[in-house]
Amino acid sequence: MSLSCHGALQELRADVDLSVALAGNPNVGKSSIFNHLTGMGVATANYPGKTVEVQLAVTRLGDRKIGIIDLPGTYALGGISEDQWVARQALLDGSPDAVILVLDATNLARNLYLGLQILDLGVPLVVALNIVDQAEARGIRVDADRLGEILGCPVVPTVATRGIGLDVVMEVVVRRDAHPAPLRARNRYSEDVEAAVGKLERPLAARTDRPHRLPPRAVAMLLLEEDPEFLDWLAAAPDSDALCRLRDEVALTLRDLRGEEPALLLSRERHGLAGLIASEVEHRERRNPILADRLWRFTTAPLTGLLILALVLAGIFTFLFVVGDWLSAGFSALWAAYASPIIRWPFVTLLGDNALSRTLLWGFDAGINAALAVGVPYILTFYFLLAFLEDSGYLNAVAFLTDRLMHKMGLHGRAAIPLVAGTGCNVPAIMGTRVLGTMRERIIASTLVVLTPCSARTAVILGAVSLTAGWRWALVIYAVTAVMAVLTGVGMHHFMPGRGTGLVMEMFPFRRPGLGPIIQKTWNRFREFVVVATPIILGGSIVLGGLYETGLLWWFAIPLRPIMEGWLGLPAVAGLTLIVAVLRKELALQLLVTLAIAQYGLQAKNLLTFMRPDQIVVYALVNTLYVPCVATISILARELGWRLALLISGFTMLLALLVGGAARGLFTIFGF
Amino acid sequence: MNDATGPGLSDELLEDCLQAVYRIVTQGREAAVGEIAAFARVSPAEVEAAISDLRARGLVVADLPDRIILTREGQRLAAGILRRHRLSERLLTDVLGLPWDRVHDEAMRLEHSLTPEAEARLESLLNHPETCPHGAPIPVPDMSPPPPATRTLDRVLAGTQVRIEQVTEEDGALLRYLASLGLFPQARLTVEEVAPFGGPLLVQVNGARYAIGRDVAAKILVGK
Repeated sequence: MSLSCHGALQELRADVDLSVALAGNPNVGKSSIFNHLTGMGVATANYPGKTVEVQLAVTRLGDRKIGIIDLPGTYALGGISEDQWVARQALLDGSPDAVILVLDATNLARNLYLGLQILDLGVPLVVALNIVDQAEARGIRVDADRLGEILGCPVVPTVATRGIGLDVVMEVVVRRDAHPAPLRARNRYSEDVEAAVGKLERPLAARTDRPHRLPPRAVAMLLLEEDPEFLDWLAAAPDSDALCRLRDEVALTLRDLRGEEPALLLSRERHGLAGLIASEVEHRERRNPILADRLWRFTTAPLTGLLILALVLAGIFTFLFVVGDWLSAGFSALWAAYASPIIRWPFVTLLGDNALSRTLLWGFDAGINAALAVGVPYILTFYFLLAFLEDSGYLNAVAFLTDRLMHKMGLHGRAAIPLVAGTGCNVPAIMGTRVLGTMRERIIASTLVVLTPCSARTAVILGAVSLTAGWRWALVIYAVTAVMAVLTGVGMHHFMPGRGTGLVMEMFPFRRPGLGPIIQKTWNRFREFVVVATPIILGGSIVLGGLYETGLLWWFAIPLRPIMEGWLGLPAVAGLTLIVAVLRKELALQLLVTLAIAQYGLQAKNLLTFMRPDQIVVYALVNTLYVPCVATISILARELGWRLALLISGFTMLLALLVGGAARGLFTIFGF
Repeated sequence: MNDATGPGLSDELLEDCLQAVYRIVTQGREAAVGEIAAFARVSPAEVEAAISDLRARGLVVADLPDRIILTREGQRLAAGILRRHRLSERLLTDVLGLPWDRVHDEAMRLEHSLTPEAEARLESLLNHPETCPHGAPIPVPDMSPPPPATRTLDRVLAGTQVRIEQVTEEDGALLRYLASLGLFPQARLTVEEVAPFGGPLLVQVNGARYAIGRDVAAKILVGK
């Protein structure tokens, strides 16, 4: 469910007793805290034209209804990047009763910058000092009480992945709301900055029309920082001429005094103060780097990094193949032994053995069986692996290592992260390309995402090819796809006007991923898959079953003959499964398997009854490359416009036919 | 510094403190009162008094607690004092023949009494020297601090510590983004890793690590 952000925030506030925003840098365990606090019932809200989402949830603590606003993880609040803009806007629009600031205890100086910015807004703050366990492993002890004294707010040590300290955080939030304590301390910057802020603060205190009812000091700082929203407010506000002039004068004086733009000066001062506070409350022991940190160095070092990348890829593939295959065999056996007889019984007894009952059984028996045999096992396994990779922090190393290659395609290392996500599902990956700065980068990256085999296509490659033609052929398909994607990227970079931008990205140390959050993430994604895919699997199978039972199937396949039989050397009926698979890619294989089950009975999931191994390779290759599924096409249209969505889809269709035809040609000449 | 001296504070003391702050800051360290006192060879109490006088004149500001930085006007004046100091040192070694290890203290006295005219004559007499006898650069006559030796970040080898001098970017968005990450002029950073074949750099700033592409690094000027 997606809502308009401004309205959703207003509604949330009206609906609950207490509203709390979660803020913090990326990768500090904010989402673990959010998941722990909220569990189910999460809504997402968007600002128009922005894809970075704000998550909203309602939870109960005792008899109080508490609304939680999860801001996107950012390093700062501001207008520079979309995530920063959304975090800032949601914080201002939501005007929560308190902000829970999640700080990474292993990197306090870095994290406090955002904290100081939030304090400067004058919002009541409760600090969750997270990851204290890993900080201690690295010899860093943070004096939480002292930090609380300096910031003038409660500081609670937590380990979010294990749920430690989170109840205390919520108790403190509630208690603080019941007995509001004034902010004891406030950030003190250099005296000239403070003088400038003070000069603006006085006339602002007299005004009642301050945006978002922020305290005068907060507005004064935002005006000095030249925040566009507040400058606009000032320009439009009645009787603001004197204030406008005062602002310009104060800003000019400050610039003359320091020879630096006030906005930059404030950044510098906040970083300085953050560093100072960190050194005051941190106690660092010199310790040998812990294993995770040493390992981390190896993953980015030139030689070992590439070796480790290769090993990780091999590991993923093996895990996927072994575990997926095991699950596939297990699910099929369970279905055939228990579920199938139970499901067949009512249809056969009520309707008798006729075309209608058989058609329905295509969907409810064979269709679901096929999903359990070739779709679900690999997709479930893959989601688990992806959650593990994301939570471990290894994707950063991938971005670092692939930056050079990405440059050849007009992108930079950050694009590696949506591309890796694309191996799970293309849809969120295309939304994820928003992290890239320019439209040109997003078009190139989205095209590459579309060419990235998602888990559904992986299910087809592994479920069909590696089981019939051998795992080496599965690797060949991945390799061919990768080469095609790189060639496409290089070509687009060459022919599209414009140029690439650069990489600036924080590198996180490794985290030990918690099994709980990984399983939760896997389950959330998988649940969405089940909800979306089940009706399509049932519908697709029943439609195909109806065509099969009525004999129309062979008739419909006739127009596909020139392409399927003539060009690709595949049975024409396989073309129908490819067309239906536009709904969901794994459907291609599932429908083939369903056809096999319908024709040869439950035991015959072996595709070799339909096609030779070389035909299956061509089939999987075409299925991997050609037109993305409907969900992907519609997200492409939403993000890039219909023209580009159709252009990209048409291109992949052409590419699939070319590569498929070429593969068939090679098999014909050289044999399989 | 001839007008309105605070009660009991000499021009010499003020100039010495200003010069001390300038030298400490340009060496990339933090100017705390104790450090300034050691540099100017006066007591911390005298430094405190001098600093509050200099603050009143808008030449220095207390940045974070216990740290003094120069305003632009302060920098201009301090560079002038340093220039006269180093010219005086050259005079003492080149013309009067004093050994170079003894000229610093003498020059600390001489520098305060040079008028602009005498300073100009002295410079041409000494044939426009570029450095003091100890090899430190003499600030140029427009009183701006000597330009630091710079190169772009992408040419720095792994394991080197550098200081950002300037970010050359037209639209300023990158500048602000980098600043919010703590990468702004005068920030110190360590280059930890340089990926081969034109890959990105891994730098450390304030305990945080960033990957920076070569193209972005080429826009960042750094010095020692």
